[in-house]
Amino acid sequence: MAGLELLSDQGYRVDGRRAGELRKIQARMGVFAQADGSAYIEQGNTKALAVVYGPHEIRGSRARALPDRALVNCQYSSATFSTGERKRRPHGDRKSCEMGLQLRQTFEAAILTQLHPRSQIDIYVQVLQADGGTYAACVNAATLAVLDAGIPMRDFVCACSAGFVDGTALADLSHVEEAAGGPQLALALLPASGQIALLEMDARLHEDHLEHVLEAAAQAAQGVHTLLDRVVRQHVREASILLGD
Amino acid sequence: MLQKREKVLLLRTFRGRSLRLVREHYVRARVPCLSPLCPQPACRPDGKLLSSDATHYVVPDWKVVQDFLEVLELPELRGVVFMQTACQAVQHQRGRRQYNKLRNLLKDARHDCILFANEFQQCCYLPRERGESLEKWQTRSIYKAAVWYYHHLQNKMPILMVTEDEEAIQQYGSETEGVFVISFKNYLDNFWPDLKAAHELCDSILQSRRERERESQESHRKEYPEHLPLEVLEAGIKSGRYIQGILNVNKHRAQVEAFVRLQGASSKDSGLLSDILIHGMKARNRSIHGDVVVVELLPRNEWKGRTAALSENDGDDKALGESPSEPMPTGRVVGILQKNWRDYVVTFPSKEEVQSQGKNPQKILVTPWDYRIPKIRISTQQAEALQDFRVVVRIDSWESTSVYPNGHFVRVLGRIGDLEGEIATILVENSISVVPFSEAQMCEMPVNTPEHPWTVSPEEEQGRKDLRKTLLVFSIDPKGCEDVDDTLSVRTLNDGNLELGVHIADVTHFVAPNSYIDIEARTRATTYYLADRRYDMLPSVLSTDLCSLLGGVDRYAVSVLWELDKTSYEIRRVWYGRTIIRSAYKLFYEVAQELLDGNFSVVEEIPELRALDEESRRTRLEELAWAVGKLTDIARHVRAKRNRCGALELEGVEVHIQLDEKKNIHDLIPKQPLEVHETVAECMILANHWVARKIWESFPHQALLRQHPPPHQEFFSELRECARAKGFFMDTRSNKTLADSLDKANDPGDPVVNRLLRSMATQAMANALYFSTGSCAEEEFHHYGLALDKYTHFTSPIRRYSDIIVHRLLLAAISKDKKMEIKENLFSNKDLEELCRHINNRNRAAQRAQKQSTELFQCMYFRDRDPEAEERCTSDGVIYSIRTNGVLLFLPRFGIKGAAYLKNKDGLVISCGPDGHSEWKPGSLQRSQNKITSTTTEGASVTFHLFDHVTVRISVQASRCHSDIIRLEIISNKLHMTPGAEPFLQSALLLKSDLVKEVTRSVEEAQLAQEVPRDSIQEEYQEYRQTKGKSLYMLLEEIRDLALLDVSSSCRI
Repeated sequence: MAGLELLSDQGYRVDGRRAGELRKIQARMGVFAQADGSAYIEQGNTKALAVVYGPHEIRGSRARALPDRALVNCQYSSATFSTGERKRRPHGDRKSCEMGLQLRQTFEAAILTQLHPRSQIDIYVQVLQADGGTYAACVNAATLAVLDAGIPMRDFVCACSAGFVDGTALADLSHVEEAAGGPQLALALLPASGQIALLEMDARLHEDHLEHVLEAAAQAAQGVHTLLDRVVRQHVREASILLGD
Repeated sequence: MLQKREKVLLLRTFRGRSLRLVREHYVRARVPCLSPLCPQPACRPDGKLLSSDATHYVVPDWKVVQDFLEVLELPELRGVVFMQTACQAVQHQRGRRQYNKLRNLLKDARHDCILFANEFQQCCYLPRERGESLEKWQTRSIYKAAVWYYHHLQNKMPILMVTEDEEAIQQYGSETEGVFVISFKNYLDNFWPDLKAAHELCDSILQSRRERERESQESHRKEYPEHLPLEVLEAGIKSGRYIQGILNVNKHRAQVEAFVRLQGASSKDSGLLSDILIHGMKARNRSIHGDVVVVELLPRNEWKGRTAALSENDGDDKALGESPSEPMPTGRVVGILQKNWRDYVVTFPSKEEVQSQGKNPQKILVTPWDYRIPKIRISTQQAEALQDFRVVVRIDSWESTSVYPNGHFVRVLGRIGDLEGEIATILVENSISVVPFSEAQMCEMPVNTPEHPWTVSPEEEQGRKDLRKTLLVFSIDPKGCEDVDDTLSVRTLNDGNLELGVHIADVTHFVAPNSYIDIEARTRATTYYLADRRYDMLPSVLSTDLCSLLGGVDRYAVSVLWELDKTSYEIRRVWYGRTIIRSAYKLFYEVAQELLDGNFSVVEEIPELRALDEESRRTRLEELAWAVGKLTDIARHVRAKRNRCGALELEGVEVHIQLDEKKNIHDLIPKQPLEVHETVAECMILANHWVARKIWESFPHQALLRQHPPPHQEFFSELRECARAKGFFMDTRSNKTLADSLDKANDPGDPVVNRLLRSMATQAMANALYFSTGSCAEEEFHHYGLALDKYTHFTSPIRRYSDIIVHRLLLAAISKDKKMEIKENLFSNKDLEELCRHINNRNRAAQRAQKQSTELFQCMYFRDRDPEAEERCTSDGVIYSIRTNGVLLFLPRFGIKGAAYLKNKDGLVISCGPDGHSEWKPGSLQRSQNKITSTTTEGASVTFHLFDHVTVRISVQASRCHSDIIRLEIISNKLHMTPGAEPFLQSALLLKSDLVKEVTRSVEEAQLAQEVPRDSIQEEYQEYRQTKGKSLYMLLEEIRDLALLDVSSSCRI
């Protein structure tokens, strides 16, 4: 089926969304008791789990300690059953290393690391089901987990992907849309200031179109922020009730 | 922003293995229903809605959409609601071609149909139940959606669901009041009993489908290997194992030879330079001319060569027994990526042939008009009735078990041999549709009648530069021209500099983007000129009246004004904009030329000056003559500058016959090469060039320009060799050197040589094409022939749609300069690219149609003449190419190119006696590079060189199924002496005009002749027509003799 129509003439995408619409997002914070912070997120069918430990002393080689700020250590892994094809992904393969680095860059930009010199913050993310936009789901899950851990941040980090089909920018790509092979852009945004924490794209796209795609991704990230904010407030409300005032 | 509700699971199997995939599916409450009856404004977004005057809405079932889309395409059917489920069924099961047809139908504002996205509506969406078949689910979904639609419109409009599924009719028939479920046949019978076209089409589709089913049950032995699956093909292309290209069947040996022209990337990778030969029908594996095919190369020892011999289309080419040229890459088709089937014109076999075809009388093999298309099998009961007609059919399928493709009958065009029928054939074969403009389209047109004359509106007067008083504007056109789209002006400015102006009709003022008329013009893309008629792109109220820049009336225009230096003619400044002009003179080329030559006696020819007294006439005339002179001066200058860069002067052998609407042939003017022609052309080229620069600067990624790529050097080899035969050297390295060597290659004794060489050079070059600047690197914008870096078409918006686009772009560029908001919705690069492809395609079709219609007239002209007796059928010919068994000739007098054999079917060769007259004798042929020698067994030999003049006899080879062909026969190897040495070119053209005149007249006579006996001797006529006896011929001949006098005398009045 070579001619799958990603965007119909009526403006619907394959799964019935319009160009700028997000997939359904559901999230929970504090899913694990033993970790300092944890969160679970579902963005459509993409499901990710994030746990945060720290800030704590540097583990392993002390030489890694940074004198002026905390070390952010991110590890990414995906479950063997996360994609359509069952495939074992050993720890430390190229893809997960790269994703770990990207997450690290993102969170070094968002966490106020200078408050915790010579210490370490660990962020572990696992993808349970991959259905497009894994990076975005990981960032969003990790944000919630970091918030849950009570680590001070400049702002939420909200991420979203965007693609470009037939002259229209599509927000929040699903797996089908990613597999079609068009250009795809991942954006992590600090929503309050509108600053970009990370921007990544490795396909060719004409520079005239970049602005539109970026705009679509930014708007989608703002939408994600609204939802995550709601989740956090809900969580805090529940927690305060449990604490009994 | 957040309206998504639920998700569903879908189960799919993939390549044998069963795989569980989960896909999301979002549904929403608000899906626009696109009906004008709906009270909610959200349901009526901008864009296409259903019309408000429909009496009911039709919801076709998926099966109906798949099978009867052709019927649903008829514009008479109104209020059609396509459900998304049905559209997806077409997309997945019927392929991209059919789906694109449906998409275009939905986009086309002329068809009253819309798409309702039922699967994304929360109430209409039904998950597929376990164990439910896809078909059942689709039917259920469509019915549910139809019911929802009915309730959504508050039960105001009855809805008919048409289906082919008996069970569904049973099950849902009476479930909901107001939603009726009936069969498609039933629907047509009850609601459209008078729409004959729909019924016929429906029947023919049904029949061909039944046939197909029966055949698949029989399924005997395989005639062709199966096509490979798409994944294998794509992987094969990527790995370089297979090659992708477009199949091109050789017209002259349609049974045997076809070539695959390589496409895009595959030509680079495979290292193949030439096309790939596909030898025989078996290797062609059911692909049809024009299909995008995938080819596998055969091993080198199976490669074959192409045949250089001339052959007839009878198919007995074996008799020639020629040894083919050296082997070239040969392959076989393993799959078809895209089928480019279109409507085909066919002819039913005559009665005798039908009987010999035997077995099944309802299945008939029909012969397409186009040689390149294989015979098509159709099943119909009307075969006998349709025997003498040209008929349109469509191909449905071509199974591997069948030698021929299956098709169905669509409509009748006209009688074989009848002028109208043949013209209609040419139109259909080139996919040209020229229905008269509809009422909705004409409603958009402004009115200009004596009661309500059209006037310049005050608002427009403010927005435009008024040049009516300040400028002397005039047009120069051929005689009888009605659509004047360009005018010129020139004046001296206060500081002594010159101002040159080109004023083009402002068509875009009248044709709003995406209006009905705009859509129609876009589909037509150009005005089609056939030999005896033309089909306008715009209605005549625009093309010959309101947009035409006639003399003495106010007209809107888009102008380009240049300020030129007084001495060097360098361009100082350019101004573009909308203007109002009043053309002072509508000059003809001849008159303008006389003025240029200083001959003022032509004053009587200028109607605008007739009424004036002597004095003012004198001054006005001098003023005009100065302007024409100055223009020519400027044009020479610009031309010289372009020549320095290497502009080419090319020659097409096709001579254009243009007639005005009343078919008054005496209005035809032979195009003599006057300098004024060049002047006007140069000004237009200048305007086009500057507009191209402007729009490209303003819209670097979405401007429509015209490119002319530099030709491949290999294509020039024939030209170089021909020139060498005459002792000229062709330097084809660049356009400059080519232009110089063409100028030098002039044989003083024979002007035809230069003409032929120029036409060969033209043929070697690629065609100029429109393109969108976003899709091409800037180096490729170059126009080779005109030697300009940027070029576009701006000056003829009345007859070319590309110019309309360019006008819109230019106007948008102007408002962009003024920092105003761009009102017009410009095409994106992708859409523009698509549009360019369409326009290029249409232009090619227009050219082909023009050529074919000219050939048709040539044949009709020679058809009724006895070649032995008539003086006119003998003519002078020039040899321009040599083949193994004959030569190709060019007949300068008629502009005909054709082949003549030196060896006939019995194996005899030509020999010429001492007086030059030829005879057929046994012997052999010897071909070398630029000559061919025929030696008889008696030892006499005759040699033909390139560019030799010979005398030929012209006759017509009649053909029932195809177009007639002109046949040439060499009757002497000496130059033919025409009685009365007329100027060469002129005689050719005058004769061509005569030709059309006579053919048109004899057609009229034939009609008259047919009408006369119908009145008087009805019975006999009927009887004769059936028997086709000799007596009818006599009768017609007699009446024609009478009629000839009548018509010719009335013509003179």
